Amino acid sequence: MLSPYGLDIIESCLTCKTRTERLFCDLPASALQSFESIKYATAYPKGAVLFVEGQAPRGIFVLCKGRVKMSICATDGKTLIVKIAEPGEVLGLSATVSGKPYELTAETIDPCQVNFVKREDFLRFLKEHSDACFKVAEQLSEKYNTACHEVRSLGLSHSAGEKLAKLLLEWSSKNGEGAKQEPRLKLALTHEEIAQMIGTSRETVTRLFADLKKRQIVQSKGSTLVIRNKSALRLIASNN
Amino acid sequence: MESVLRPSRLEYVDRPEGPFCHLPDLTLRDFELLKTPVLYRRGTCLFREGQPAHDIFVLDEGRVRISVSSESGKRLTLRIAGPGEILGLSAALAGSPHEMTAELLEDAQVATIKRKDLLRFLREHREACLQVVNLLSQDLHVAYDRVRSLGLARSRRSRASRVQ
Repeated sequence: MLSPYGLDIIESCLTCKTRTERLFCDLPASALQSFESIKYATAYPKGAVLFVEGQAPRGIFVLCKGRVKMSICATDGKTLIVKIAEPGEVLGLSATVSGKPYELTAETIDPCQVNFVKREDFLRFLKEHSDACFKVAEQLSEKYNTACHEVRSLGLSHSAGEKLAKLLLEWSSKNGEGAKQEPRLKLALTHEEIAQMIGTSRETVTRLFADLKKRQIVQSKGSTLVIRNKSALRLIASNN
Repeated sequence: MESVLRPSRLEYVDRPEGPFCHLPDLTLRDFELLKTPVLYRRGTCLFREGQPAHDIFVLDEGRVRISVSSESGKRLTLRIAGPGEILGLSAALAGSPHEMTAELLEDAQVATIKRKDLLRFLREHREACLQVVNLLSQDLHVAYDRVRSLGLARSRRSRASRVQ
């Protein structure tokens, strides 16, 4: 089925070709059959809000395609992006399990396919399928580790420059680029969104990028960023 | 590390209040069989951030400081863990290095469980696995609260006041 958002919707988890590559989805046949009967395949355009921080948990959202921005918001409207969720991640997991309100807001930044499962169906599913329960524990562990990483970065970094350098090094270590002398990375976020990831203003991010370019530490080629001087960026990241 | 104590295999009837207390007795007995109780001195680090997670730790008594550190040695306390808590769970389950450091604030008896034994136990005991899922969900709520308070503090001074 081709949706209005240009997505090739995967209607059935049983025939999904990417299932085996994904942590939660790679379930034994009986659990998968069960999951298939309780999930609703849905498509969302870019900018759709799946759930909002503080809402009572309705259920989980398994991200099949696209990316989702996970953020928290202060009462004055200041936003902090905790992470960008990728396909295969289960969103709203801890709130659905604990029954506490969603602690983050989930907003699509691409057209997305999401499989939604109602809370009561999901809890029953976990009780009946130990393999799925184990995978959920693994996912929660990874999310917890990411949250601790975020706490370290927010609580112990001295400056916005240090946090930006750490973020760029982290992104450049993905997709086999980490070992290269001059790693490349695709800047898929706006300066505003990068600012929300490191808890600073858009103006500061723009100024920091201009400074890094002037010092020839990074170079822009369209939406691709080339790290020209990795050791200098590491020095900034380690606050020296 | 002070000394290895006699495993308290059948003492689960008088167990202290902990996350697995309400599990069926047979499941709890299997869990007790995995534990090796060790007496540690105050100041001992059960694990440090960056170390591979070979074991998990069940705190029978005492308090443990859970913290993260910067490369320059600055430390941020996440929370103080108390008796009954299981430490090192997320790294053991994710198969990743520890994201935090756990340091004993007083002499205490701590039971260690090998990671591979824990994983096998959780695969064999669905109720225990569900309980671990609940524990991790609670931990995640606490961690996100910490992210919120640090990340959305109005000023650098306000942020600094949250770092211990």
